[in-house]
Amino acid sequence: MDMSNHPLLASMDEPPPFPANYTQLRRLDRSVVCQICKEPFQAPVSIACGHSFCSSCIRSSLDVLKKCPSCNEPASEGSIRRNRALEEITDAWEESRPIIHELAQPPIVRKRPAPESSSKPSSSSNTKRLKPSSREASGSRSQSPTKSRTSNEDHVQLRQEELLDDEEEEDDIQELTENDEAPCPICQATLPISSIPMHIEKGCPPPKAKMNGAKKGNQKADWRKVFSGQGTTGKAKDVEMKRIIKPNYSIASPADLRAILSEYSLPTTGDKAALTSRVQEWIILFNSNLDTSHPSSISALRAKLSDLEASKRRDKEKGKDEMIAQLGQKGGLQKYAKDKRSEFDRLRQEIIERDKRRKDEEEGKGGRENAIEVE
Amino acid sequence: MSGLAVKRLMKELAEIQAKGTPEGIILLSADNMQEWVFLISVLGDETIYKGETFALRMKFGNRYPIDVPEVTFVANEQYQPPIHPHVYSNGHICASILGTEWSPVLNAVAICITMQSMLASNKKRIRPEGNDRYVKTAPSNPKLTRWHYDDDTV
Repeated sequence: MDMSNHPLLASMDEPPPFPANYTQLRRLDRSVVCQICKEPFQAPVSIACGHSFCSSCIRSSLDVLKKCPSCNEPASEGSIRRNRALEEITDAWEESRPIIHELAQPPIVRKRPAPESSSKPSSSSNTKRLKPSSREASGSRSQSPTKSRTSNEDHVQLRQEELLDDEEEEDDIQELTENDEAPCPICQATLPISSIPMHIEKGCPPPKAKMNGAKKGNQKADWRKVFSGQGTTGKAKDVEMKRIIKPNYSIASPADLRAILSEYSLPTTGDKAALTSRVQEWIILFNSNLDTSHPSSISALRAKLSDLEASKRRDKEKGKDEMIAQLGQKGGLQKYAKDKRSEFDRLRQEIIERDKRRKDEEEGKGGRENAIEVE
Repeated sequence: MSGLAVKRLMKELAEIQAKGTPEGIILLSADNMQEWVFLISVLGDETIYKGETFALRMKFGNRYPIDVPEVTFVANEQYQPPIHPHVYSNGHICASILGTEWSPVLNAVAICITMQSMLASNKKRIRPEGNDRYVKTAPSNPKLTRWHYDDDTV
């Protein structure tokens, strides 16, 4: 099949790879990637054999099989340890990658290019990893590279303009330091420059009060609140940021599972299977969120959980469509009838019993009515 | 499908696009993120499958790569499953990598390579024991079959 222009890859959000002659950089790029999700580590952890994965990846994997996915050594959740150094390395590499990527490009002619000459594949538009460096987010520039995703040509042109701009505005730029605030190039919320990359990474959540620089007065007040116990009364329910211990799913009753869910203000609907899978997913999300120095908010985790459930539901619906298509095929209906025989019998039995009960009740009622009439 | 599964499959697709597939393995179709079909042929003159091409279908679930994809050889007018002691005539495959030995660090191409080498090392053109009985009662999803992996020679 023709892979040059695959429709599914149109929405691909990948940072451009390093040129093939920089094998060391390609190796470095690979080394900060989790072998399960093949994404840069998020909340990296190590297990007993020494292999590292994203916390949520290995937790999901160990739920299925108690072995290291890389080397097959026996592994358990108890052996998971947060790998702070790896997280720091990953973050640092993610931050420096765009810079090094730019340095690794063949030199660009510093001239405003004619539009037709500018479609170099090497500088395809980019995304997750190209965080705006503090230079790009310095506020003086309203056009940021993230806005110019629409076409490669724009992007290249912009990059070159930036190179020119850099020379012209060098004085301007040096006035800003990491502690200064600047608008986020995507959502325009004002944030300290150093926290903008992380903010974009998280999908631009509205800035929290504590992120707004060092407001010492407030900090003092906040601490007082904490010590006097006021801090916790602010919200209806405060979640304890402590690892959740897994229940034994085979003996836990639906009520036990509901209790866990309601502790974190999660939906408690559904049968035991639904509750179990919700608790399982939540424990993975919640516990892995404790393995990182950039944790998401509890509400963000709740949103993730509901996304997961929504996608599962969609898949189920799709499965139904497929089944209906299968029923249309020759012999499909007989096969379906054969497969579902026991379920059909059970439902039939239930209906017979229900009708019988209803009839009994009706008779009872009728009797009473008669009695009333007699009175 | 969950975002994680889709993202991971996109990466695999991009890698196939950038680096291609190993010799003897061709991606036939990947129109969506649920089902891909690869063409597999065994290279060299030593093989009993010389000149034959098989189609391997993979269905990816919501929890890929944590859960193994559903892998079968296509059995229709155009393609027939290989005659192999571990491949049933309905296309179901008895291979530990598709069951207990699956690991989330593996990917679609790794499955193809395993299948290719499973075919390459085979010398006997026979169906598995009890093929007819199995095919008659088999569930449509081979993941629902309880496999017993005993023979590791091919």
